[in-house]
Amino acid sequence: MIFLYIGLPLIVAAVLPLVGKVSKKVLPDVLANGVFLFLFAYAVTGARGLLAGGALHQTFAWFGEPLGIQIAVDGFSLFMLTVVALVSACVGLYSISYMEHYGAKANYYALLLMMVAGMNGLLLVTDLFQIYIFLEVAAVASYALVAFGREQAELEAAFKYLMLSVVASAAVMIAIALLYGLTGSLSFTGVAEGLRQLDAKAAGAIASALFLMGFGLKAALVPFHAWLPDAHPSAPAPISAILSGLLIKVSGVYAMTRIFFHVFGLTPALSDVLMWTGTVSIVVAALLALKQRDMKRMLAYSSISQVGYVVLGIGIGTPLGIAGGLFHLLNHAVAKSLLFLTSGSVQQATGTRNLDEMGGLAKRMPVTSTTSLIGSLSIAGVPPLGGFWSKLLIIMALVQSHRPVLAVIAVLASVLTLWYYLIMQRQAFFGKLNERWAAVKEAPFWMAASTIVLAVLCLVLGLLFSSVVSTWIQPAADVLAQGMGM
Amino acid sequence: MATLDIVLLSGLVLASAFAVLAKDLIKAAVALAVSSLLLGIVFFRMNAPFAGVFEISVVAGLITVLFILTIALTRTEGEVRESKTVLRVFPVFFVLFIAIDALVMKGLTAKIATLPAAAESGTFGDVLWKQRTFDLIGQLAVILSGVFAVLALFRKRDKDE
Repeated sequence: MIFLYIGLPLIVAAVLPLVGKVSKKVLPDVLANGVFLFLFAYAVTGARGLLAGGALHQTFAWFGEPLGIQIAVDGFSLFMLTVVALVSACVGLYSISYMEHYGAKANYYALLLMMVAGMNGLLLVTDLFQIYIFLEVAAVASYALVAFGREQAELEAAFKYLMLSVVASAAVMIAIALLYGLTGSLSFTGVAEGLRQLDAKAAGAIASALFLMGFGLKAALVPFHAWLPDAHPSAPAPISAILSGLLIKVSGVYAMTRIFFHVFGLTPALSDVLMWTGTVSIVVAALLALKQRDMKRMLAYSSISQVGYVVLGIGIGTPLGIAGGLFHLLNHAVAKSLLFLTSGSVQQATGTRNLDEMGGLAKRMPVTSTTSLIGSLSIAGVPPLGGFWSKLLIIMALVQSHRPVLAVIAVLASVLTLWYYLIMQRQAFFGKLNERWAAVKEAPFWMAASTIVLAVLCLVLGLLFSSVVSTWIQPAADVLAQGMGM
Repeated sequence: MATLDIVLLSGLVLASAFAVLAKDLIKAAVALAVSSLLLGIVFFRMNAPFAGVFEISVVAGLITVLFILTIALTRTEGEVRESKTVLRVFPVFFVLFIAIDALVMKGLTAKIATLPAAAESGTFGDVLWKQRTFDLIGQLAVILSGVFAVLALFRKRDKDE
């Protein structure tokens, strides 16, 4: 069943362009959203039972002949699969109304499904080379989705994204080649075992540095972030949401964490590098976000900053730190997708992303403004929303592991986050209604509905945080805290 | 390392550099084909015949044909002015890379202990279908993504667009 996370989106994507010839809108909408909703429903209901006896390894056969397909699910990958399913389901619903004016909906959904299949594949593999392949599946689909509108700015952003992403893939590929040359194996366990036998510190350090650069570029950590503030705002809003909410986390944070924790093992030096990279990202990107006048660009810088928190939390390496990092990953995925979707609603209603031209939109778009406010407050870490608890966990873990300086920086940067989000809220939604927007209407049904779902989730994640942590986050954090041996 | 390997690898680097620097796209595509042909031969010499076959048939053969077809079918509409920075910076990086490669890599690789890799075993079909089936699915997905990307980016405008 778990293979459906790769197989189902792939098969439906393959038939969608043909389906699009028969029905341009309705069937693609139904098929793609059906897949997203099914995968989400299975993630929250059936999939957890599979892990009752610990991590699950599956191999497949074809007419009795064994095939070279091996997938594995543990608490960490199941948690990530659920996050992917959740955000892609909301993004799919939002796309029903939003993508109307772009045309070629069947092609759009086909690419979106390929991206989801790529991300799910990356979450299930047990082999370094397969990480690379599924990284590319998701990446190739995402380049096309960034350029989907085909305007000058979109094509330019997609090209820049493509160029930097290729550098990232090359770094990852060289690191994999190096490890294969050293250990003669590609599987996580094989390479980990080989590295232990060889005690190859220097070569291991070079491979780690290459992985850090490659996945750092994918996760857009400072100083590898230059592509993100162009690529994410240029894409159609649902794609911005999925890029910021999911892709940088799956192809950057997840892949990096899986390899560092389960292949190399987290050393104190590596832990320091991760924590400082995270902290620099948090501060630099928050300062850059303050100056932005383009709504989506501000959100893009905020993504860099918040991914910094996730890496900081995971980098601490203690069970509490990892739990905080992963919980922040979930909170950020939900809230940032929500914010990008609401920014899309605003852009569609007003035709602008410039905060200076907006003002008073709350009067015309009450649902969009309320949901956007909830998302902003959650990311900024205002209680009782989800973001507050995850940041609190990270800061407590920093204090526990005797890193007061990093803890203070994390708190201060959180204030900066609140500051730029309040600027955004005030300029866009509050104050006097700009005359130009007197005729603006609330977003259409599906767009509004998906933002409401995400906003409610921001609230639920905060109010029920202890049960969310114990059911979803803790099993994932345990897998990482135990270290090697997947 | 045999002299032949050094000649092959030097040729590979030079052909790749020419592919980057060539102004004429046809020449660049041919240079790329030459470089992957040389790489294919290197694969054969390193006892990786399957990789060699793929490199020569797909990258040197099929992809070059696609490139040249596309270039031949594309109309040239005015010269696009390129930034000169690349042409100036590239040789610097190129020389730096060669210098570091020559000075460091040989000493480094000689010192590092490695474990033996399993040689390619079984028939081509065995490797593809039984050992690396998942890669095959992934590669199909990459190609499918590429096809959808082309379909999406070169689509005709709909009436309601």
